[in-house]
Amino acid sequence: MYIGLDVGGTYTDAVLLEKGRVKSWTKVPTREDLLNSLLEAFDKIMRGVPADLIKRVVLSTTMITNLIAEKKYDPVGLILLPGPGLENSHYRFDTKTCIVGGVIDYRGREVVPLPEGDVDSAIRTLAGLNYKKVAVVGKFSSRNNKHEKEVCRRIQESYIDWQVEMGHEVAGQLNFPRRVMSTLLNCATRDKYQFFAQSVLAALNSRDISCPVYILKADGGTMPLNTSLSSPVETIFSGPAASILGVQALIPPGETAVILDIGGTTTDLALILGGQPLLASKGADVFGHMTHVSALAVKSVPVGGDSVVECVGKELILLSERVGPPYCLGGPMPTPTDALKVLGLTKLGNMKKANEAMKILGKPLGIETWEVAARIMMMVNDTITGEIKNMFEKWEQEPAYRVWEVLQKKRVRPNTVVGVGGAASGFMPMIAATLDCRPLIPPYAQVANAIGAAVARPTLQVSLRADTEQGIYTLLEEGYQGPIEDKPFNEEKALRLAEKWLHKRAKKYGLENDMGEVEVTRREVFNMVRDWVTSGKLIDVSVQTKRGILHYIGTGGGNIER
Amino acid sequence: MKGKKTGVIFFPAFDWAISPTHPEREERLLYTRDQIFEEGLMDLPQIAEYPPKLATIHDIARVHFCVPRVQSQVTEAHLIAAGATMSLGDSIIQGEIKNGFSIVRPPGHHAMRVVHGNRGFCNINNEAVLVDYLRRRYGICRVAIVDSDVHHGDGTQEIFYHDPDVLFISFHQDGRTIFPGTGFAHELGGPQAYARTINIPLPPGMTDTTFHYVADNLVLPLINDFKPDFIINSAGQDNHYTDPLGSMKFTARGYADFTRKLNPHLAVLEGGYAIETALPYINMSILMALAGIDYSKVREPDIDSCSFKENPDRFAQVQKTVEELLDIWSRRDKADIEKIFGSGKFYQRKKHIYYDTDYIEEEQFEKVRLCGSCPGYMLIESRADRGYGETARVFAVSIPFNACQDCQMEAYNWYEEAVNKKKGCDFVQMQDKSTDTCLSFDISKNQEWKSEGPRPGV
Repeated sequence: MYIGLDVGGTYTDAVLLEKGRVKSWTKVPTREDLLNSLLEAFDKIMRGVPADLIKRVVLSTTMITNLIAEKKYDPVGLILLPGPGLENSHYRFDTKTCIVGGVIDYRGREVVPLPEGDVDSAIRTLAGLNYKKVAVVGKFSSRNNKHEKEVCRRIQESYIDWQVEMGHEVAGQLNFPRRVMSTLLNCATRDKYQFFAQSVLAALNSRDISCPVYILKADGGTMPLNTSLSSPVETIFSGPAASILGVQALIPPGETAVILDIGGTTTDLALILGGQPLLASKGADVFGHMTHVSALAVKSVPVGGDSVVECVGKELILLSERVGPPYCLGGPMPTPTDALKVLGLTKLGNMKKANEAMKILGKPLGIETWEVAARIMMMVNDTITGEIKNMFEKWEQEPAYRVWEVLQKKRVRPNTVVGVGGAASGFMPMIAATLDCRPLIPPYAQVANAIGAAVARPTLQVSLRADTEQGIYTLLEEGYQGPIEDKPFNEEKALRLAEKWLHKRAKKYGLENDMGEVEVTRREVFNMVRDWVTSGKLIDVSVQTKRGILHYIGTGGGNIER
Repeated sequence: MKGKKTGVIFFPAFDWAISPTHPEREERLLYTRDQIFEEGLMDLPQIAEYPPKLATIHDIARVHFCVPRVQSQVTEAHLIAAGATMSLGDSIIQGEIKNGFSIVRPPGHHAMRVVHGNRGFCNINNEAVLVDYLRRRYGICRVAIVDSDVHHGDGTQEIFYHDPDVLFISFHQDGRTIFPGTGFAHELGGPQAYARTINIPLPPGMTDTTFHYVADNLVLPLINDFKPDFIINSAGQDNHYTDPLGSMKFTARGYADFTRKLNPHLAVLEGGYAIETALPYINMSILMALAGIDYSKVREPDIDSCSFKENPDRFAQVQKTVEELLDIWSRRDKADIEKIFGSGKFYQRKKHIYYDTDYIEEEQFEKVRLCGSCPGYMLIESRADRGYGETARVFAVSIPFNACQDCQMEAYNWYEEAVNKKKGCDFVQMQDKSTDTCLSFDISKNQEWKSEGPRPGV
C-alpha cells in the first residue's frame, strides 16, 4: 500500500492506496505544529492498517513555494563570475552581488584565470555585511566548474560555518541568470526545508512506518526525501504537479484534457496531452524570478468564485481581486458564486442573499436577476476559455531547432475538461460546451493532489555531454566533470556510460528495483571540424526512467505496465 | 516603435548539412546557441523568440525558376529557413515586433533567379522570397537590402538587377580575391533600375575603420535618399578577423555598431564560418544591437592581443570608390540610359554562371522588355551542363508585380509560344507576380503545373 500526502498552506490531505483503489482518505487543517497535523492525518487513514504494509510514502508540499512567496528566508550573498556578454547591471538581484573576473567559454575552456584578489575582496565584502549564506555562480560553470570550486574552497578556508551553494551543482542547463536564481533560492530555503523533512520523518517514525519516503518534484518526477535535502528548490510547485498527476490517474488513459482548478481567487489551468501532462518548455517562473526548475506547465488566471463583480457605467466588470467571501456567504460584494447560487448551480450560500447581490448589479442596468447571473457566468466563461485557447496556441508556438521538430508540429485540441477545486462544478458545463468538450469531475477530486503524490512514479535522469577533442565529459545532474577513459569514444559508448551513471544514481537513491524501462530522450552528435578535418565530436545524450504514474484509479487496480 | 520587442527565430538546423565536414554543417550554430542561451537573452523583456514556419512551394516558385521543379531543389530545411524569415516579416509588418533577426541555416544570398543546383552553399534566396512575399501579402513596394557578407551577394543582385524599387547595396572583399568573383563598382543595375545596385569591393585586410567609413558615407546616405518601406540586412559574418574563408579584419563590435546605425527591420544570417571564434559573439551582439541592449561587454576572447592597422593606400582606394559611387548615385535620374545600355525593344545580356558546390556550368541569355510604363517583363533562356553530357534547358518568363497590362499580355504570349513550339528547351516556366500565378511546363511529359498564391488579405 502507498501513502500520498499533500501538505498545503491550509489543509493537509492524505490518501491510502491499495493497488489502484483508494482505501481511505482525509483532509485535516495544517496547523503551526506541523508534526501533530501530520500525525492526525496518518492516524485517520491508517485506522486498522498495520504499518509494515506501507511500501512507500510520497509527499507533495507548497511549503517552499510559500516560504519564497512570503520572503521568509535568510539573506543570501552572491558571488558571480559572468565574464563577457551582457552588462553587469543586468545581474541585479535583491541582495548583495559581488562580481568576480575569470572567464570560461562555451566549451568549458578557461579563457581568463580566476583573479584571486577579486575573490578575496568579494569574500571580505560579504563577511563585512554578515552574510552567512553564499551562492557562487559562473557563466558556463556547467561546462567547467573549476572557478566555482576554487571560490568555494577559498571561502571555506576562512569561514567554515558558511553555507556555500555552487551553480553547477544546482542547475546544469544553459542560462546563467536562471542558474543564479535557482542557486540563490536553493541556498535560501535549504535549512527550512530540512526542518520540514525532519518533521515528516519524525511523524512516520512515531507510527513505525519505515518504508522509503519520496517527495514529488515540480515536473512530476520524484526523489527520495533524504536526497532532496540538498535541492529544495526542485520541490517548489510540487503541489500543482501532484494535482495534475492525480487527475491523470483519475481519468481514462490516453485522454487529451484541460484541468481546471477553480479556487476562490485564481483558476489554475494545466494540460494533459495524449495522456501525458505537458511539461513547461522553460524553467519555472517563481514569483517573477525565472529559474531552471523543470515544471509541469501551469497557467494561473486571476479569476475565481470569490472574484468581485462590479457595475461600471452600463457594463458589468469582473475584477481580479477578492475582498471577502461571496455575498451569499455573508461577504460585502457580489461574486460569481452568487451567480451560481441564483442559477441553482451550487449548494453553498443563502438564496435570498444571492438574489440581492444580483439585484444590486442589475438595478442600474435595468435587467433581471437571472440575466445578471447569466452575464456573470458568460464573463467567467470567456476569461477561462480564452486562456485555455491561448495555452494551446502558446504550446504550438514553442521554438523548434531541428527539421523534424518543425515537421511534426500539429494542432491538438482537448476532448475533455476536468474540474477540480471548490467552484469547478458550477462553471464546468458551460466551459466544456464552449470548448466542445466533455465535462468531467472525477471521484476523489477533493484529494486529487494526495492521490497524485501516491501514484507518482520515481524518476531519475542523467544527461551526459562529452567533448572528445578535449577528452572530458560532464554530467549535468551530478555536477560531475571527468576525463574520458574509454577511447576512442563514440555515441554508443556515451549512451552506455550515461546508463551506467543512471544506475549509480538509482542505487544512491535506493531506486535500483524501481527503475523500469530506460528512455533515451536526447542523442546528438556534432562533428567538430578544424582546418577541414574532423578533430573531435561533441556528444550529448540524456537517459531517464519513465516519468508518470504507476496506477490509474478505479481501473480495478490495473498496473500500467501490464 | 518604442516598447516593442525584437523578434528572433533561431533555427540552427541541427540535423542538416551539405556534407559532414563542409563549413555549412550541423555544428555551425551550436556555439552560437550555447552563447545566446547561457547568456539568457531569450528571457529578456526586449526579446521574443518565435518558432519557424514552413514556406510553401509556391512562395519559392514566386521567386525562383527551379529546374526541373521546386521540389527537386529544396529540402525541408530550405523551406524552414525561408519560412522563418517570412514569419518574422509578418510579425514586423503587423506591428507585433519592432524588428527581427532570422538566425537560420541554410543561407541564401548566392541563389539566383534560375536554380539548377547549389552555389556558394545556397539554393534558395531567403531575402528575395521575403521581398516577393511582403509585396504580395502587404503591398510593400520599396525595399533596401544591405549585404554585409564578405562574399558578394550575387544572387540577390541578380534577382533584383532590373527592379527599380529594390536598392541593393553590397560591400565585400574584392571579387578578384574571393568567391564568387563579382561585385565590382561598375555593376550598377539594368537600364530599368540604374544605380539601384551598388557594389563596394574592399581590398583584403581592411578593418572596422573601413567598414564604418563605407556605412557612414555611402550606405546610410543612400538609404536615407531612397526612403525604403522595409530594410533588410543580409548579415553575413565572414568579414570577421578569424574567418577561415574571408581575409577581412572586422570585429563583433564593428558588426554591432553597424547594425545599430543601419537599424534594419530584419537581419538575416548569411555566411560566417568561424563558428567558434566569431559567430557566438557576432550573432549575440547583432541581436543585442537590434534590441537596444548595451553590447559593449561582448568581446572576442583574444581581442586584446589583436591590433589591426588600416593600410592607408588601400583605404584611399576605398574612399575613391565611395566618392565615385556617390557621384553616380546623385546623377542617377539624369543618366543617359540609352548611351549606357543601348536602345530598342529589349535590353539583353549573356551570362555565365558557375555552381561551385554542385559543379554545374550554366549559360544564360536574359532579355528585359524596355517598357515605358512598368519595369518590364523578363525572358530567360538557360542551359545547364551537369557534366557527362547531361544538360537541362529552360525557357522562363517573369512578370514583375507592378507590370502594365501590355507587358503582361506580351509575356503570356511568349510563354504560350514556347509551350506550343515544344522545342529548343526541356521546360517552360512563368512567374506572373502581378496575379501571383506560377506556371511550369514539362515538354517531355507534355504536362503543365500551375500554382496560385492566396488572394491578398487572406
